[in-house]
Amino acid sequence: MTRSSARRAPFHERYFHYLILIPALLIMIALTVYPVINVVQLSFYRYSYARGEKAFIGLENYYRLASDRFFLKGLSNTFQFTALATVAELALGLGLALLFNTKFRGRRWLLPLVIFPMMLSTMVVCAVWGAMYHYDYGIINHVLRAVGLSPVRWLFDPNLALQSLVLIDLWQWTPMVFLILLAGLQSIPAEIYEAGRVDGASGFRLFRHMTLPLIKRHFLLAVLLRIIDTFKIFDKVYALTGGGPGDATETISLYIYREGFRYFNLGRAAAAAVVMLIAVILISAVYVRQVIRGHA
Amino acid sequence: MPSPRRLGRRAVLYLLVALAMVWTLFPIYWMVTTSLKLPIEYASPEPSWAPTRITFEHYRSLWEHRFLRYFLNTVITAAAATVVSLLCGFLAAYALARFRFPAKLDNLFLLWVLLVKMIPPIVIAIPLYVTLRQLGIINSLLGLVVGYQVYTLPYCVWMLLGFVRDVPLEMEEAAAIDGASRWRTLWSIVLPLVGPGLAATAIFSVIMCWNEFTYALLFLRSPAVFTLPIHIASYITEYEVLWGELMGIGLLASLPILFLSGYVQKYLLRGFAMGFK
Repeated sequence: MTRSSARRAPFHERYFHYLILIPALLIMIALTVYPVINVVQLSFYRYSYARGEKAFIGLENYYRLASDRFFLKGLSNTFQFTALATVAELALGLGLALLFNTKFRGRRWLLPLVIFPMMLSTMVVCAVWGAMYHYDYGIINHVLRAVGLSPVRWLFDPNLALQSLVLIDLWQWTPMVFLILLAGLQSIPAEIYEAGRVDGASGFRLFRHMTLPLIKRHFLLAVLLRIIDTFKIFDKVYALTGGGPGDATETISLYIYREGFRYFNLGRAAAAAVVMLIAVILISAVYVRQVIRGHA
Repeated sequence: MPSPRRLGRRAVLYLLVALAMVWTLFPIYWMVTTSLKLPIEYASPEPSWAPTRITFEHYRSLWEHRFLRYFLNTVITAAAATVVSLLCGFLAAYALARFRFPAKLDNLFLLWVLLVKMIPPIVIAIPLYVTLRQLGIINSLLGLVVGYQVYTLPYCVWMLLGFVRDVPLEMEEAAAIDGASRWRTLWSIVLPLVGPGLAATAIFSVIMCWNEFTYALLFLRSPAVFTLPIHIASYITEYEVLWGELMGIGLLASLPILFLSGYVQKYLLRGFAMGFK
């Protein structure tokens, strides 16, 4: 037994809250605060890891980025992927949530199955879709041929590769949107609908003027979470297209990876990382404000 | 007898449900069945819809090709990273939930935690790589465990903060009046009460590490220390149509996750949507 009624509380009691915060604080400083500061610093240097030379060059890395075809393409592809995937996932997720908000037989045990895709490792997802997308042996092209259509070069057609990746993301992450929106729908008390029906509203009008406003917060959360996540797009591109064909699926993350970990142009990679960081901070400022409002 | 119109509605409803389930489950069905087919049935312009002859050949081959090694690497990394984060995260969450710090240090810390959850991992990969290299733990599971703190620690702090705040303050006050030290209160009063939340957080953290790709790719070089996602990625990029084995790995790599997620059904929303990203 410890005695806390001593004349003066011992050190570890008085500074208890500091002591227990310190481990997490130190890890966060070493593994996140320092790297963020370091990457900003690095972006002002020409730093080749291979040759070990390091020279301050001011904003030159950023100027170079602004005229680098791959970086610009990566930037526009990333925005395109983010927009397409987010919109598609919200539409499908909302549809699924409305469907599962009605009563039907088997709903209880079908629900966990709908969540499956988002539990899987992205690499597993890529493996399956890569096989289904295969030009010669893929099941999708087999079906297309069977119904008399011509097969599609899903991942190898420059005009289609990005959309094919969006489709995979749609399959994998719609469940998350579904989960959030379903929670929103189920938090609406049934009486509200009854009141709406008494007032003569029905079908689409009920949905548009009662349901949507009531799940606005959930909707916004889903939008922001999907934007933040799709903006990182790296693993699918790495595994399935490598940024190609040509630069059709180049993304910012992939650009940073290649410059930093293949060519060892650490300064250039750092500058691209800073651009990405700024974009993410701008996007998430909205989210952070929401969360703080909800948490406090 | 329901009216024809209502009957029609029911039919449409069930049709939509069926469509939704086909869309969701077909790729999983395809993974499972392909892993049980002979190559002649999947490496063909007309793949069969279901295996006509079931074979476990691919699973045997996996066994011979060090599948267990990759599996264990993944288990060890996910477990170790989770234990560290859970411990530090729980202590930090308790401090932040129950005490005030000067200069708004607590709010600042939380804001940073939230921001880190949103930073794409690749952004800080270079400094992390250099740090791990200097520590001599690059290309090792230990290094990956350290790197994974970037994901798991903010996640654990954020999730556990919510769970600690749910614990009624009276219990702790009663313990303090009885003369229990702060440590004792923390371990024997708060910890058991947060137990279920702690377990759910641990499971989500394990799932997160289990599926992580970017840092594993960047920090691991030798196949001996590969985790499952990296192993799968090398399969995808190196062998074009060795699908039987690939799907077998995919299935075996997914089973533990599906199993674990069964335990956290009621926390899914809190765990995934509110804390995951």
